[in-house]
Amino acid sequence: MAVAPDEWSNRSTALGLLLSRVALGDRAAFAALYRDTRSHLFGVILRINADHAQAEDLLQDVFVNIWRASSGFDAARAQPMTWLTSIARNRAIDSLRRRKTEVQTVAAQTLNDDGEETDLVAAQASDEPGPLELLTQAAQARDMAHCVGTLSKEQQQCVALAFYQGLSYAEVAEHLTQPLGTVKSWVRRALLSLKDCLGRSGTEQAQTN
Amino acid sequence: MDYSRPDRVDRLAAEYVLGTLRGPARRRFEALLPAHPAMRSAVATWQQRLVPLASSIETVEPPDRVWQGIEHRLFPDTRTLASQTAAAALPWWQRLGLWRALSGFSTAAALALFMVASQTPAPQAPIIVVLGANPEAAQALNASFVASVSADGRALVLKPLNELSMSPGRALELWAVPAQGAPRSLGLVQAAGATTLLRTQFLRDTAAFAVSVEPTGGSPTGAPTGPIVSVGKLSI
Repeated sequence: MAVAPDEWSNRSTALGLLLSRVALGDRAAFAALYRDTRSHLFGVILRINADHAQAEDLLQDVFVNIWRASSGFDAARAQPMTWLTSIARNRAIDSLRRRKTEVQTVAAQTLNDDGEETDLVAAQASDEPGPLELLTQAAQARDMAHCVGTLSKEQQQCVALAFYQGLSYAEVAEHLTQPLGTVKSWVRRALLSLKDCLGRSGTEQAQTN
Repeated sequence: MDYSRPDRVDRLAAEYVLGTLRGPARRRFEALLPAHPAMRSAVATWQQRLVPLASSIETVEPPDRVWQGIEHRLFPDTRTLASQTAAAALPWWQRLGLWRALSGFSTAAALALFMVASQTPAPQAPIIVVLGANPEAAQALNASFVASVSADGRALVLKPLNELSMSPGRALELWAVPAQGAPRSLGLVQAAGATTLLRTQFLRDTAAFAVSVEPTGGSPTGAPTGPIVSVGKLSI
């Protein structure tokens, strides 16, 4: 189950209160914050780094960072969910650097905990909703559908692959069998369109409140 | 790479948040963030635009061992572990280094205050607490304060130790932090000059004083919402 549409903003106050107590070293508040956000942040990390064991370590790193950085959290500038999710996304993206160098020595077929063979590529493409589907769902829930709708299908696909799966420009190009330069300009134009549309529609104002 | 052009900064911030800024370029960009408010603000705006799109990602329950690992790393209860690890686990304001670094300074402050106090017939010396600047919040505001609480615990005078430049629409709020539980607001304090506060009791159930940055009029929630810019531990 995904995070409910309103939950992102509505739970901000409660999470903000917890974060302010975490900032002052309150371990009970930290445990409550973990309880409330762990499954969302774990889902975010797993999308980008599908290796379960690595994702568990990353989630640990993320909460260690949250504990240490919480005193710098500024509720006037960021929603708690956005702040927490950004920490998780950045940590997961950073972990891909290592994966890349390792992937050359590891076969695509690996043994999982139960000793069964799993295909790393197939594991990504299971019955979970694909990146494009996630983008459409989120855009509708966040009242951004008309802005995402202004993007071409190719643009939507590139943005979704980069955002949800953590693919680099080169990986998106490979995935879509398109030239790197084309993919880069699709994404850059998509970002500019989103910025323009969100600014015009006043969605940005609504999100800061 | 020219980071001074706003359109370039905005594009890099967008690609950083989207995740397509990679490798050395990503690390360079990240390293520049702490010193460049315009870059930070561009990142914050793009996070606000894009990161809520993660709300459609299906949640996945992590196994219990993840929390055990976090607790083990942050709060190792066994004393055999290196003291270094234990120190790193403490919130920054409880870490010893800060008090050590500040102790020379607080002694001087205490001495100065004692000299002032000794000129008036005060029966008991006031309690001095130096609130050191929180390094984690230095981006928001680099602020240190000295608080003197009268011996009977009924009056508190708070003074900034450095010049503070407050953004418009923001105020400073003082908090009493108990050893356990939520901090209590002691009210708004001035960024320039001394603020005197009177209460029935400042010291009871107070382990530390903290100052946070809040919207004008103070925290809307009754708990600190802005960065905690300064904290001083009470040791009686």
